[in-house]
Amino acid sequence: MALWRQPLDRDRIRIAHGIVHIIDDRCKGCGFCVEFCPQGTLAISPHTNAKGYHPPEIVPDVHCINCGLCTLLCPDFAIFIEDGGKHTPDKVIPIQRYEGRDE
Amino acid sequence: MSAEAMERSERLRIMNYDTPAESDWETGLHPMDDLLRGERLPHIWCQGCGLGTALTSFISSLKWLEKNQGWDLDKVAVVSGIGCTGRIAGYLRLDSFHTTHGRAIPFATGLKIANPELKVIVISGDGDIAGIGGNHLIHAARRNLGITVICVNNFNYGMTGGQVGPTTPHEARAVTAQYGNYEFPFNLPYLAAASGASFVARWTVLHARQLDWTLRKALIHSGFSFVEIIAPCSTAYARWNPEGKGLDPENLRRRGLEVMKHYQKVGKTEQGIHPKDAHVKVNSSGEVIEIVEGEFLDETRPDFKEAIDQRATTAEKFWLSEKNALDKRKKLPPKKGKVPRTEIQLGGFGGQGIMSAAKIIGMAASIYNNLEACFTQSYGPEARGGAAGSQVVISSTPIHHPHLTQPTSMIMMSQGAYEKYVADLSPGGVLLIDDELVDLPAEHREDIKTFGIPATKIAQDAGNNRAANTAMLGFWTAVEGIVDKEAMQESIAESVPPKTVSINLDVFESGYKRGLDLVKK
Repeated sequence: MALWRQPLDRDRIRIAHGIVHIIDDRCKGCGFCVEFCPQGTLAISPHTNAKGYHPPEIVPDVHCINCGLCTLLCPDFAIFIEDGGKHTPDKVIPIQRYEGRDE
Repeated sequence: MSAEAMERSERLRIMNYDTPAESDWETGLHPMDDLLRGERLPHIWCQGCGLGTALTSFISSLKWLEKNQGWDLDKVAVVSGIGCTGRIAGYLRLDSFHTTHGRAIPFATGLKIANPELKVIVISGDGDIAGIGGNHLIHAARRNLGITVICVNNFNYGMTGGQVGPTTPHEARAVTAQYGNYEFPFNLPYLAAASGASFVARWTVLHARQLDWTLRKALIHSGFSFVEIIAPCSTAYARWNPEGKGLDPENLRRRGLEVMKHYQKVGKTEQGIHPKDAHVKVNSSGEVIEIVEGEFLDETRPDFKEAIDQRATTAEKFWLSEKNALDKRKKLPPKKGKVPRTEIQLGGFGGQGIMSAAKIIGMAASIYNNLEACFTQSYGPEARGGAAGSQVVISSTPIHHPHLTQPTSMIMMSQGAYEKYVADLSPGGVLLIDDELVDLPAEHREDIKTFGIPATKIAQDAGNNRAANTAMLGFWTAVEGIVDKEAMQESIAESVPPKTVSINLDVFESGYKRGLDLVKK
């Protein structure tokens, strides 16, 4: 945070974090999760999956707030969020796990 | 492994892709995989189709109910019809039922009534529920049957290629309405509410979270709950309509997403408004410009099961009182000797008591004389004054054929009935007539025995001319002697109105005496 004024309770605030699991090979590339993610955590990736679609990937430095909208919106059961606990806003960890693909 | 398959696996290995030994659908990676039949997945729905989202919302609400309301998912049954949406029943690892086209609600009705413990959910498309099965929807709603109907509406017949359907908006295009739809669509929430549904809601699949919450309420709701889900048909409907950006080559691959963005723009949440005002507005080029969504109706009314139970209690009370009366019947000694198959034809005009006379004979024979009896009737459409006939068969052995083949005994109380039936009487049979009402013609049959009494006059003298049939019965009992006199008296006392029992028994007695006199001669 490059702001010079900061809330006094900044070190006490905890916000939810989610761990994004993407099951690449189930994705049909409809783009619902990318479009409607409230944090803009996801983007269309340049690589293709076994079906030839572009699955989503995590945008660096944007954190998932565990809202679970992508889990509900995904028509192909290809993305889900695991509760990553609560952390201070400073701790922006782009957590992601790709199922069925070696990183 | 065939050479072709070898080549494919080799190619995949070079691409650094390991074919899993078992599909991850079956091993279960996703938290919803335990409610999905992994062996049938991935599903057939197109890229950008809203059905998958409708399914995740539904599974999500089921999981919430299981966790927070203690629902046993073994007691949940999903029924669906035909179409893209109809495949949901096949993909869910629940008791599910994939039925014939349009008949999902009738199957669900049977399921719910036969096993009221089940939570029955119908998930089907607009073509299935509002098109071919529209009648079933309104009647299930009318009865307030305790099921949940989830109708996924994609505005057209998607599986067959995008034909215009009962929910296609006016002016919208479809493969069979290239110049715009000239018909007007159903407003499904309004239809369901007007038919009597007690919970009505509508959401687009974009509002998956709200849809999840509404489905929880709808599933808990005790009466008929109806939820319309508006979903994009990315391949068929979006191809022809502006929401999916039509034939713009730039957007060809993400039509579903374009429609979802459109829903974000036009969706208007209005909770609790009258379903009449829950429009899907379109402009003159067929583009949807407003979708009113929300929960429109949630009221508590007795559902179909409760109504049946209440009525069953009333009916049971009535039946018990009937049964008590029947148990108090007088026990008479059974008829002595065997009675062969005896056929009796009664005839007259309506209002003379031809039917009740036949019924009295049958009851006397079957209940008080321990014989077998069978009673059939035939009459014209008039309640009074028309031709009427009734037939009784009496026998000691079971009666296998109720229809008269050779009547041996006839009671005729009008000229018309005499002319109609007398030719059927077998030779040597007995014909009993009311003297005053039947004029025997000169060519009257001579191979039969004919006896007559002025039955109507006897009844009039006794003070009730409607007892003429009882006089004929007394006369018949004396002449034929098939049924005992005591049995007939008991049967008459049970059948006629309570105030007229004594008059009827008097008339029966005088008819009986006249009969005895005639037989002696």
